[in-house]
Amino acid sequence: MQTAAIVRPRLRVIGGVCAGFAEHTGIAVGVVRVAAAILALCGGAGLLLYVWLWAATPVSEGRTAVKSVLTQPSTADESADAAGSRAPITEILLGIALLLAGGAMIASRMGVSIPLAFIIPAVVALAGAGLAWRQFDELRRGRDSGRSALVVRALGALVLVVLGILLFFVTGSEPNIWTVFFAASAVLLGVAVVVAPWVIRLARDLAEERAARTRDVERAEVAAHLHDSVLQTLALIQQKAEPGSDASRLARAQERELREWLFAENVGGALDLSAELRRAASALENDFSARIDVITTGSAVPEAPEGLLAAAREAMLNAAQHAGGTVTVYSESSPTGIEISISDRGSGFDLDDIPDGHFGVRESIMGRMSRMGGTATIRRGPGGTGTDVLLRMPLTGTEGA
Amino acid sequence: MTDADHNLTTLIVDDHSIFRSGLRADLAPDIHVVGEAASVDEAIVLVGQLTPRVVLLDVHLPGGSGGGGAEVVMRAAPTSPSTVFLALSVSDAADDVVRVIRAGARGYITKSSSGAEVSDAARRVSEGDAVFSPRLAGFVLDAFGAISGETAQADHELDRLSKREQEVMRLIARGYAYKEVAADLFISIKTVETHVSSVLRKLQLSSRHELTAWALERKLL
Repeated sequence: MQTAAIVRPRLRVIGGVCAGFAEHTGIAVGVVRVAAAILALCGGAGLLLYVWLWAATPVSEGRTAVKSVLTQPSTADESADAAGSRAPITEILLGIALLLAGGAMIASRMGVSIPLAFIIPAVVALAGAGLAWRQFDELRRGRDSGRSALVVRALGALVLVVLGILLFFVTGSEPNIWTVFFAASAVLLGVAVVVAPWVIRLARDLAEERAARTRDVERAEVAAHLHDSVLQTLALIQQKAEPGSDASRLARAQERELREWLFAENVGGALDLSAELRRAASALENDFSARIDVITTGSAVPEAPEGLLAAAREAMLNAAQHAGGTVTVYSESSPTGIEISISDRGSGFDLDDIPDGHFGVRESIMGRMSRMGGTATIRRGPGGTGTDVLLRMPLTGTEGA
Repeated sequence: MTDADHNLTTLIVDDHSIFRSGLRADLAPDIHVVGEAASVDEAIVLVGQLTPRVVLLDVHLPGGSGGGGAEVVMRAAPTSPSTVFLALSVSDAADDVVRVIRAGARGYITKSSSGAEVSDAARRVSEGDAVFSPRLAGFVLDAFGAISGETAQADHELDRLSKREQEVMRLIARGYAYKEVAADLFISIKTVETHVSSVLRKLQLSSRHELTAWALERKLL
């Protein structure tokens, strides 16, 4: 029967159990607290109940600050499917153990003779085992709630198991060699049960690491081979083919791709400035008979301003389209700013000759840069021929100058 | 070395025969190829026997003790003091190229350069100049901290570039030829050449850890 779950509020006196219980049942918090205190006096039954409720109820809201020892019940919205697929064995185990202990305490108070000497150690050992298995479960499902939490939990479980087993044998009637022997073996076994998840985890990590290393070695071998054979051939094709011909363009595009793959540390994620420029260059090389050399210096710029990139792309497009031949893109990123120059050796153009309606240069390059607080300068390219577009973008962000 | 202009003796060292024959066919007529070598050991023997003026040297080479082009430069240079080495590479890996340069090569160009470009570079190194590709110039700017504003205060400083050297390197990185660099900075070509040679010297002698650290980190040149 699933009713609204008891949740413990984040604002709490001890564990928030009384407040949660009061909220759930509609009884005033004070009454609940007094009842709990009275119960606690009855041979500690109230304390046990408190501990059980504390362990078994989640903290309000989906995310739990102190990840409770037990799973969140399936009524918690976020974890509904995760918890629903699994029987809460640990909770039941722990609950039974604690209830038994409580019951036994009350019964012993009422004069009934109960072998407390067996029950208390059994409860403690059970709780320890429950904790240990709970941990194992978490690990198996890959839920890592932080190293320290796991360490604390593991140590706690370990102590409980050892304590329980020792109590069991020590409080037993007259110890002899066999009880000591069994006690020792039992402790070892208990520890093994608790430690097993860690061992499994370690072994898994080790295997994964080894596999990753093997992959790296293989990759390096493949890279070396490609480097020596394929890149050489592609270079040769470019050298032999007419500049700007399809063959040379294809070879260059392939070379670029291969190079990117070979030397990329880990592809994926946001491209930095130099990667963006290179990508733009290879896209243009596919469309125009131009060879675009991209040289980037300075520190990596993980997220270059989009406007700057757009202006650079536009300048590269102009160069590839109108000038062709070899275009050099040189970028320099220092802490104070980014500078990109795009130079070609075409016939060049005079800014004053461009009709006002021509948007390419005036709007997409100069306008864009000035809107971002940068500048664009256009002048004669290398040796007085061609065009040299210089984009400057000061960085006045958090880094300062 | 003006005589060398007439008939520049050259040895091509590359382990790919297609590349050797391709390059041989493409070189300018005044570049006289006296031999070809395919491995480190072969190259060392041939340099000693033929004493070519220029060795066009692949960075990646089999044989020897695995040192590739750098090993050839180091072991062959003493047997033929008049020989200069020009590194040719498809590699963008900076540590490769920097190793060859630091071993004593006078320059580096990429293998996709045309026959005319290679010939020009060969002539240039034979005249005692250094040859920097735009990429190498960019790397040098980075490695010597020029981008972050480090500037040498004195000429003899090996670990930083002077203001002028930085300007020259920037223009080379932007694809300018020496002549164009000279025109842009209003200096003579000879001065440009002096600056480039001085940068090469720094690249060979400097103990800046960035030279190797950057190279490894970026894998780019």
